Amino acid sequence: MSDFNPTILAFCCNWCSYAGADLAGVSRLQMPPNVHVIRVMCSASVKPEYVFKALSQGIDGVLVLGCHIGDCHYLTGNHRTAKRFPLAQKILGEIGLDERRLRLDWVSAAEGEKFQQVITEFVAEIKKLGPNPLREVRP
Amino acid sequence: MPRIGVFICHCGHNIAATVDVEKVVQFARTLPNVVFSSHNLYSCSEEGLAAIRKGIEENKLDRVVVAACTPRTHEPLFRRNCERAGVNKYLFEFVNIREHCSWIHAKEPEAATKKAMNLVAMGVAKAALLQPQTEGESNVIPVALVIGGGIAGLAAASALVSQGIETHIVEKESALGGMLREVHVIGPDMVDSRTLIDEYVKALERSPKAHIHLSSKISDLSGFIGNFEATISDGRCDEKVKVGTIIVATGGRELVPASGEFGYGSLTNVITQLELERRLARGEIPKSAVFIQCVGCRQPGREFCSRICCNASIKNAIRMLRAEPDASVSLLHRDIMSYGTAAERAYREASERGVNFIRFGLDRPPVVRQDGNRLTVAVFDENLEQELRIDTDLVVLATPIVPVEDVKELAKLLKVPIDRHGFFLEAHVKLRPVEFATEGIFICGSARWPSSVSECIAQGLAAATKASIPIREGRVIIEPITAYSDPEKCIACGNCVLACPYEAIEIVLFDGKRKAKVNEAKCKGCGNCVAACHNDAMEQKGFDTRQLGAMIDALIKSALEVSQ
Amino acid sequence: MNELGRRLAEIAFTELKADYLLTTSREHGNVGPVFASRDEDLGEVTFDVPYQLVKILSRIYPWIPQGKIAIVARRCDEKALNELIKRGLFDAARIVLIGLACDAEQIAKCRCSDPAPSRVHFGTPNKGVEFDELAVRLQSMSHEERLNYWIGQFRKCNKCFGCTTNCPVCFCDDCVLEERTYVAEKGIPPGLAFHLVRAFHMADKCVECGECERSCPGDIPLLTLRKTVLKDMKELFGFSPGDQNSVSPLLTTLEGEPLEGDDDVC
Repeated sequence: MSDFNPTILAFCCNWCSYAGADLAGVSRLQMPPNVHVIRVMCSASVKPEYVFKALSQGIDGVLVLGCHIGDCHYLTGNHRTAKRFPLAQKILGEIGLDERRLRLDWVSAAEGEKFQQVITEFVAEIKKLGPNPLREVRP
Repeated sequence: MPRIGVFICHCGHNIAATVDVEKVVQFARTLPNVVFSSHNLYSCSEEGLAAIRKGIEENKLDRVVVAACTPRTHEPLFRRNCERAGVNKYLFEFVNIREHCSWIHAKEPEAATKKAMNLVAMGVAKAALLQPQTEGESNVIPVALVIGGGIAGLAAASALVSQGIETHIVEKESALGGMLREVHVIGPDMVDSRTLIDEYVKALERSPKAHIHLSSKISDLSGFIGNFEATISDGRCDEKVKVGTIIVATGGRELVPASGEFGYGSLTNVITQLELERRLARGEIPKSAVFIQCVGCRQPGREFCSRICCNASIKNAIRMLRAEPDASVSLLHRDIMSYGTAAERAYREASERGVNFIRFGLDRPPVVRQDGNRLTVAVFDENLEQELRIDTDLVVLATPIVPVEDVKELAKLLKVPIDRHGFFLEAHVKLRPVEFATEGIFICGSARWPSSVSECIAQGLAAATKASIPIREGRVIIEPITAYSDPEKCIACGNCVLACPYEAIEIVLFDGKRKAKVNEAKCKGCGNCVAACHNDAMEQKGFDTRQLGAMIDALIKSALEVSQ
Repeated sequence: MNELGRRLAEIAFTELKADYLLTTSREHGNVGPVFASRDEDLGEVTFDVPYQLVKILSRIYPWIPQGKIAIVARRCDEKALNELIKRGLFDAARIVLIGLACDAEQIAKCRCSDPAPSRVHFGTPNKGVEFDELAVRLQSMSHEERLNYWIGQFRKCNKCFGCTTNCPVCFCDDCVLEERTYVAEKGIPPGLAFHLVRAFHMADKCVECGECERSCPGDIPLLTLRKTVLKDMKELFGFSPGDQNSVSPLLTTLEGEPLEGDDDVC
């Protein structure tokens, strides 16, 4: 377990969380190298289907990071995000996958430190949860 | 078969100090569809860009992946570079291995290199599925519409008209000037409001570019930036006008105190600020007056401060005392908002002229009673910690500016947001002031937030400047990241229509069947509709579900399978 | 036609003035749908066997450009129709419901919590049951046990698509689960993504008719899974599918408004 190196996917929105991640980089805030970012325009465009796909194929954890509620560049985009992912988490739980493998959080363009904190926390959490049990089930 | 070229950037030491660039270059060559991979010291330099162009030409590349810094800075630069070499701008993918990799994993070069390889694999997978795109363009009707003929609207309209832009001004009253017509003297410089209004109105009336519609309202509105259609109704007939941009300057109104509040409506000589303005204009200067500030605001339900009432009361107190030096004036307040040097000077002058400033608390408001044919005001002075009793002829209630009654209707027509008080919400207080998130519509004056006359004028001019830009350019660029629906797959379940924050999607008849259709000019490319669509009938250009799916597959292959 | 059929025809064509009737009848020992106009023989009408008539209606509706259609509907059918009507897939003015109340035996089989239609023409309304034995057992399992249970169940899946084909609120003609975008596996069994995506798509529209479970040749307890997700929807959003006027919470803003705004908006 101590040499378990999780593979984690993160969806970041162009206007807030991706910019926040950039800021963390510019500020040289160090964090574990397990998270791979896919850039989207808005967190609301992230389909829960991507999360289900990733987790059922062995990815250890998925992060969805959007703008704070009220600050979405696309007005109320992140309102839908805020509804979809708690439901996706519940469904993961009903199947028996740990809900904590999916995390939704809000990071603004000015929050480089929050980005670092979220990444560090999430990687630590996934390390504790262990490898995705579905890694072995993949055909 | 796509021919992908991958260019890894050293960015001097910024990437190369942590990431083994050579290893990533070798790895990239093994990826599907990659026919060429190389590295540059500084990809964004002239040398680097030229090297990329050379790579494209020599290897007949039709897609380019650059792994370097963040797309948020240099994506346009690299896109243009591709175009120069004959590759469509949108067949380019940017992989971030600096801000998101080398800079944040500085002490773990091996892991950082592995992650960079994973990220490049993801970028290559997306690039393979990218489609060439053309930027859309939409025309702009060179006409502006200003809704509201108060001081903000007048300033905006004059600015537009002086640039030679045809402008419609729609005012619901029978004369221009708005609330300012009821305020005869503008503080703190005691400018005559009539003169100010007349200056603007005459300029407009003289100009052939200005179309003034009095006693009129907007009864219908449709369209989007560059192509709005508004219906102006004056009660008898409707006029449809086509405009390119719209400025909302509908202002506000003085809140009428609740019946009985501080004796309003039940006691005589308890009046509002505007009622005082009328009396002063008629020459009826009272011998004594008590102003009560923050009536109906800065309290639960209406927490905001209306900014101008303190200065208005101070101005009127000074007017009274200049005319009647022995008048007895008290001003009961919870704070004095006399911001700026001129207002601060006026505050001082009022004090020197003998105005009694008394602070009270929200929890202990003053009490106004009839006392014969005069009034008595009892107030607990917070500074003296003492109950005071003031006898007076007149009590003036300073109430806040609140939005006009039909603001909800207008907001609905324009599809722009209002806050719970009814003030319009601009796109961003600092980054995008005086404009709505909806492109082509702008906001100024007290409709946005209670503002002083000079602030209204400044905002009106700002809004006019912004509103003139699309008209000057003559066209609006539509970035090809819009959504589109495949009529073969679409069931018209309506999920996308509900999910779209811009109401840019409609269900229309296509070959007799109901299908979703995206209005490209309204679509802002957020992709909410794509997430709402169950069967991927709706896709977003540049963020296709198959592209993102392929990125996930590539990550799994690169990170999970290689490690076994 | 039998007495039940005659009574049904009377209600549909005389009382409710419909032009067509959709119901079920027994022929050659099997129960199947019957779509008839006035004066046609309905055959041996029976309500004994649950049959997804709303799905049948979806299939034939595009071919019936006008006229009122009466449909024998249990409570789940009524809810399914509401979900489809609010999506514009049916014109409410053209559909009339003949309410069928399920008997206690059927209610127990479906573990149905909401069995009484708004208007009952046939059967006596019974109370629902709140108890799904498997759901309770799953609830008490650890994550690992639960996952093993479902992996075991889903191993039986052979992508027959019976569940999607017969589900009344599953309305896509081209199912995304047939593509490779989210379900990576070409063969059978499909990976968990298949079932997770289905569960998500059904969350705001499943009416617990149980057809998926009845259709599954692998006897996978799909109805139980649906019920657990619906319980989660109720907890998260206070939302249950089946009402013509409610918008799915997945598509509204946090305040429940279907369109724009952070604070109160028009």
